[in-house]
Amino acid sequence: MAEEVLRVENISKKFGGVTALNNVSMAVARGETCCLVGENGSGKSTMIKIISGVYTPDTGDIYINGHHYKKLTPIESIREGIQVIYQDFSLFPNLTVAENISINQQLANGKQLIRWKEINRIAEEGLARINVSLPLDAIVETLTTADRQLIAIVKAMLANARIIIMDEPTTALTQKEITSLFKIIDDLKNRGISTLFVSHKLNEVAEIADRTIIFRNGMKVMEQDAKGLDVKTMEYYMTGRKIDKEAISFSKVDAVSISLLRVENLNLKNCYFNINFDLKPGEVLGITGLLGSGRTELALSLFGLMLAESGKILVRGKEVKIHSPKDACDQGIAYVPEDRIREGLFLDQSINDNMVVSIIDRMAGRFGFLKEKQKRAEGKKWIQRLEIKTPSGVLAAKSLSGGNQQRVVLAKWMASNPKILILNGPTVGVDVGSKADIHNLIRSLANQGLGILLISDDIPELIQTCHRILLMRNGRIAKEFKREDITESQLYIELIGASANNGRA
Amino acid sequence: MHYKILKTNEFIVFLILVGLSIVVGAVNPAFFSLATLFDTLRGSIVYFIMAFGLLPLMIAGGIDISFVAIAAVSSYATHMFLIGRGYQGGVLPYFLIACTIGVSMGLLNGLLVTRFNLPIFDVSLAAYTMWYGFNLFFIGATANFDLPRGTIGYYARFLFTVKDPFAGTTGLHVSIIYVIGIGLLMWWFLKYTTIGRGVYAIGGNREVAIRSGFPVSRVLLIIFGIMGLMSAIAGVTMAFLSRNFNPVIFINQPLDVLAAIILGGASITGGRGTVVGTSLGVLLIQVINRALILTGIPVEWQRLVVGLILILFTSIPALREQRAKHTSHTTEIAQTDQP
Repeated sequence: MAEEVLRVENISKKFGGVTALNNVSMAVARGETCCLVGENGSGKSTMIKIISGVYTPDTGDIYINGHHYKKLTPIESIREGIQVIYQDFSLFPNLTVAENISINQQLANGKQLIRWKEINRIAEEGLARINVSLPLDAIVETLTTADRQLIAIVKAMLANARIIIMDEPTTALTQKEITSLFKIIDDLKNRGISTLFVSHKLNEVAEIADRTIIFRNGMKVMEQDAKGLDVKTMEYYMTGRKIDKEAISFSKVDAVSISLLRVENLNLKNCYFNINFDLKPGEVLGITGLLGSGRTELALSLFGLMLAESGKILVRGKEVKIHSPKDACDQGIAYVPEDRIREGLFLDQSINDNMVVSIIDRMAGRFGFLKEKQKRAEGKKWIQRLEIKTPSGVLAAKSLSGGNQQRVVLAKWMASNPKILILNGPTVGVDVGSKADIHNLIRSLANQGLGILLISDDIPELIQTCHRILLMRNGRIAKEFKREDITESQLYIELIGASANNGRA
Repeated sequence: MHYKILKTNEFIVFLILVGLSIVVGAVNPAFFSLATLFDTLRGSIVYFIMAFGLLPLMIAGGIDISFVAIAAVSSYATHMFLIGRGYQGGVLPYFLIACTIGVSMGLLNGLLVTRFNLPIFDVSLAAYTMWYGFNLFFIGATANFDLPRGTIGYYARFLFTVKDPFAGTTGLHVSIIYVIGIGLLMWWFLKYTTIGRGVYAIGGNREVAIRSGFPVSRVLLIIFGIMGLMSAIAGVTMAFLSRNFNPVIFINQPLDVLAAIILGGASITGGRGTVVGTSLGVLLIQVINRALILTGIPVEWQRLVVGLILILFTSIPALREQRAKHTSHTTEIAQTDQP
């Protein structure tokens, strides 16, 4: 291995009674792209915080550039060239690109007065280092996530970073932006700057890593050069169980009875056009397409959050008007939104409260007061049925991990006993283990006779859960596939091909 | 670059100001006179000073209403102290003593906010109520018209005088020089000092400001001190311009000053705001005031009009965002959807 920039040895860290890290050692070499992988709660974030000096380990040693530390402060960590790019990028949304890039140098040099020429010069040089150009006087809040990330990277480089730690850097990026981020990481490598890439998106890890380290339950369970490491092996180490994709049993579609949901010639200007499809009881119907293909707008229309301009919606053979979410609920339609944090959960309220909110009128007694006991019983039922990992239903919803939060959102809608379930990106930001559980759940719901519309651009997810998949392109249903007739890679080409054909040529 | 200026809040306020002046001038030509201009400026002086003092705090994301109480206590206490000792000299000692008191009171707010991590508004609400009570209970409950001999001429110390057929002899008061001086100083402070940029940084994201190494507590203390200082200057100036010291001066004015700053493009949530915008906001409110008088519309309308303009202004960013969302989506699909 080349010269080591960072090495930690036998690090342990406990919080109260919980062991976050248990005797972990790892190292990062100069110019290396090292990927740190693990489920939520596996100890990844604790390790980042120890390396950046935010937490002090209970036992263990840290070596940076050959210097030995028992305790490391954030300032020491920064002086040694360790830069963490957090998911929020640590930028000032109200200031310009130039100022955001240069402000740290200004402060580090202890300057009391601002020379704007100097600020712009520093910013220009910084951007030139990674060969990107951004308007220096643009206000950061008007930029895309990808551009903000670039600014954060430039800032890290200007701080003479030797290791840049990126915490889930691709979460909010499009495929194209991810590709250019990887190019920049390669470029950093050529300059001898190491990257510690923390992620649970395994196909990206497989693409970028020189070396992969996997954590599970606070321990390092695997470390290997990336060559020959496939996604399946990583999944196995991450979750400690084999996720067997071959042995999935799909529910039987009840093709004979009348369609649960039928959409005829649905139109909404600038969003979608001439949409036709059927959803049978027991069927999982996937709808995929790139962002802006109209898939989300279509889902919102079926739930009454947007109104179609023309066309028919039939539920169990009868034409219905869906003008509001209440109309949709009355028809037995439930919608689980894309952004569960913002649209689906009251984070500060208890798990129980969140789950009963859609059936709140059933929980009320004669004078409109809530029956606490019944609420708790209902909460308990769903915690058990959906295997939500929590010591108690009275805890706040924000105490749960992402996968478990998603289950609470599901429980909330299941409690209302829907016939048709619309899921929009149900596993976005959820780790592999919880993802497999949610997929199981979707299949078992279909088995119970529900009709499920699954909106997603996660190709393995579509192939593993859907009976049929509709591909949307520019607001139209471009193609329809049966699961048996298409492979993951074919579907991927179809999806991406859609963008290649419709580029802004 | 040039087009950008046209889209700023400042420019819109400026346009409204010009438009309003033209309309009022058309209805009542007396509006276009030096006397009216000087009178409007005279009425604006203390609002300019208080608004400049409050602006940094607003940019940092804080809302304060105690500045008016600071103006009242620092000016009234200074006056009662000096007059009690038979002082008959000029205005300078008034400013020096009041400023010392004002800065101390501002810093007290600042210490409560930084040391005990209290919300700025809560502290200011307490201070607002408490200091007016303090003034009335401990210092005096009535306005005092008994000015030292050396200060009597101050209210009519003009840079220029004009003879006006309606208003008689009037002029531009000297304290407009302080206003310009303070305005330039604040502009420089906010744009060219690291502390000043720290004010914007704190308003943009306080957590990140701490992480980036801004001395956040020190910045807050400094701008609380500035607020206290400006309040004291405004309090004393107002007393001399109106020739009396009043223990409850400005008690109804804090929202007018806040309104001026917000009209000038500052945001309630912090991070935005400029000296130029604030100045235009102050002027706009004063011109609306005078416009209503000169056009014979009842004064009660003033609040209604200012309120409506505020609603208009606060909704502009929201409307822009909505439109941006809409257009971005349609452009994506528009090119291929038409069969």
